[in-house]
Amino acid sequence: MSIQKLSSVLATTYENFPKGRFITLVVLRTTHSETIFRTEGSGEPMCSEFVQAGLEGENQKTIIQRLVMTKRKQIAPERRYGREHLRAHELLYTNSKDGSLCSLNTNSPCEMCVDCFLYGFAAGGGGAQKSRIWTEDAFSILPASDVVGDRTINAIYENGTMRDEKSNASTALNTSEYIKPGVHFLDVVTLKDVTADELRYVVGNILFTSRYGAVSSRVGRMENQILGVFGSITELPSSLELVQATYDVLGKPLEHPLNSNQLITASQQAIANWRNRRGVSVHLSEAELVNLIADVETHWSEAERDSFLKRLSQSYESFRQVAAEKKKTKSKGKNTPVEVES
Amino acid sequence: MSTIPFQQAKLIELYCLEPVFFASRELSDTYYTEGVIGNYALTYALGLVNSPYRLQGQATGRPTYKEDLQPIARDFYILPASPLDKIAFRFERFNALSDAYWYSMTNNRVATAREDLPLQRQGKKPNSFRPSNFPQTGKLRMIERGNRFQTLVFGNSQLPDYIRLGKFMSKVKVNILNESSVNLLPEGEYQSQHYLNATDLPQQLETLAFDLISIPPAPIIKNLRFRGCAWQIDETIIPADLHFCGRGSSNE
Ligand SMILES: [Zn+2]
Repeated sequence: MSIQKLSSVLATTYENFPKGRFITLVVLRTTHSETIFRTEGSGEPMCSEFVQAGLEGENQKTIIQRLVMTKRKQIAPERRYGREHLRAHELLYTNSKDGSLCSLNTNSPCEMCVDCFLYGFAAGGGGAQKSRIWTEDAFSILPASDVVGDRTINAIYENGTMRDEKSNASTALNTSEYIKPGVHFLDVVTLKDVTADELRYVVGNILFTSRYGAVSSRVGRMENQILGVFGSITELPSSLELVQATYDVLGKPLEHPLNSNQLITASQQAIANWRNRRGVSVHLSEAELVNLIADVETHWSEAERDSFLKRLSQSYESFRQVAAEKKKTKSKGKNTPVEVES
Repeated sequence: MSTIPFQQAKLIELYCLEPVFFASRELSDTYYTEGVIGNYALTYALGLVNSPYRLQGQATGRPTYKEDLQPIARDFYILPASPLDKIAFRFERFNALSDAYWYSMTNNRVATAREDLPLQRQGKKPNSFRPSNFPQTGKLRMIERGNRFQTLVFGNSQLPDYIRLGKFMSKVKVNILNESSVNLLPEGEYQSQHYLNATDLPQQLETLAFDLISIPPAPIIKNLRFRGCAWQIDETIIPADLHFCGRGSSNE
């Protein structure tokens, strides 16, 4: 049971005050279809930035343009994934102010559910919860120019041609950029003061979320893999530094598509010395990591999901009561899980 | 009259590994971050003050700087961080999105209750369509990734290698550049190059001239000319006896 190996950096129960317990997940995110990450509307180029290629030698002086998967682009779909299951198992609560079901970004966080306790909320008046899941902008290994494709979109008329009945040519001709399949992003996710079940919940959200970015039925497929888990009393290097260190290890001229296994080996080499950093107490071995993932998959399995999610939700019970008493809410919407919204 | 509570000060550099956002100012739907990092924010970020995960009741409407910072004021002090080079900003658009399949942008708010739509069209105000009291769409001016800030840390606390700053918990690297002794200079007229927190100035200090950067929770002062005792750390001269909430009235 490798989750026990992390016990020194796991909380036994949710507590309202921080203690120095950090769990760092090193995540490899690989696109499996065309994907779109933009900060502005359609027609804008992909989200990218000029950064140092690596941390050593010539790489340190070379500036390349890398794709960026912003922290907000990661966290939103991962939260939504978990919330879908909270909703299905009736573990979202109603908001005491307007009686509506807990909802992301709509002014009605319930302040009671697993998602509210873990990822936080800000609400006018009622209170606020800081997130204990800290994400970072993730970067592509390869330069944007190697991994971005261009597509010309022809708007075709109903008759199936580029000309309408009066033979006017379609003007809706457009090129748009997309990120190619097989592009790797490396990422560091930090969990602060989480319990074993909260860890299972968050890791499940990361492993099972499969679509990111501008979403339609054909784009945005992405596969997440956890390459390393650390326990510490401090934060570990950033996603950008991880990408740069991995780039240094990879050496030689690189080409898209990168071989995934080579990349994984290189990034594992890059994080190997994080073990010796000040404040790091746990680094899961490969076997322990496999065990941890199996443990998470078991808890999320069809057979165990319901009892797992209910147990996790139940763990906040005493903290919910405190909140309810303090606010002296009317008995009306208090603590009542409600029906699934259609 | 003045004694030095801190023998040593560390000069540190803060390197922004991610864009950093503080809501310093608001102009219509744009939220501006100023090119400075307040020392209260830094104290929380360095983990020297414990702040709860959940804010409730009074704490949501009123920060508790005085209660939090005064207990550590004898052991620790940090100056506001000033940019090392010309600061670079970036603009980003933000949009709140719902997890419902159907949603609509109404009075600065994402509404998800489709059944309320007919009521809304009749001019009625169903609860789910009332305006939001926090912004759901707009623009952010952020401190760009790669900016470097410098500041001085007084006291013997161990500093972490990385901290999180601002509303989006942006990762920032902490590099300790060097450690120097703090020397007391006798009463006189001095010019300070460093950014200072206006509420941390000692009460008896005579300020002659300064520029003000108005940001919450406390204004930042630069180019201060003052009369009084001073501390010197290498080349840096600042008023002596700077400490958290030195002017007494800080909670606004
Ligand atoms: Zn909730």
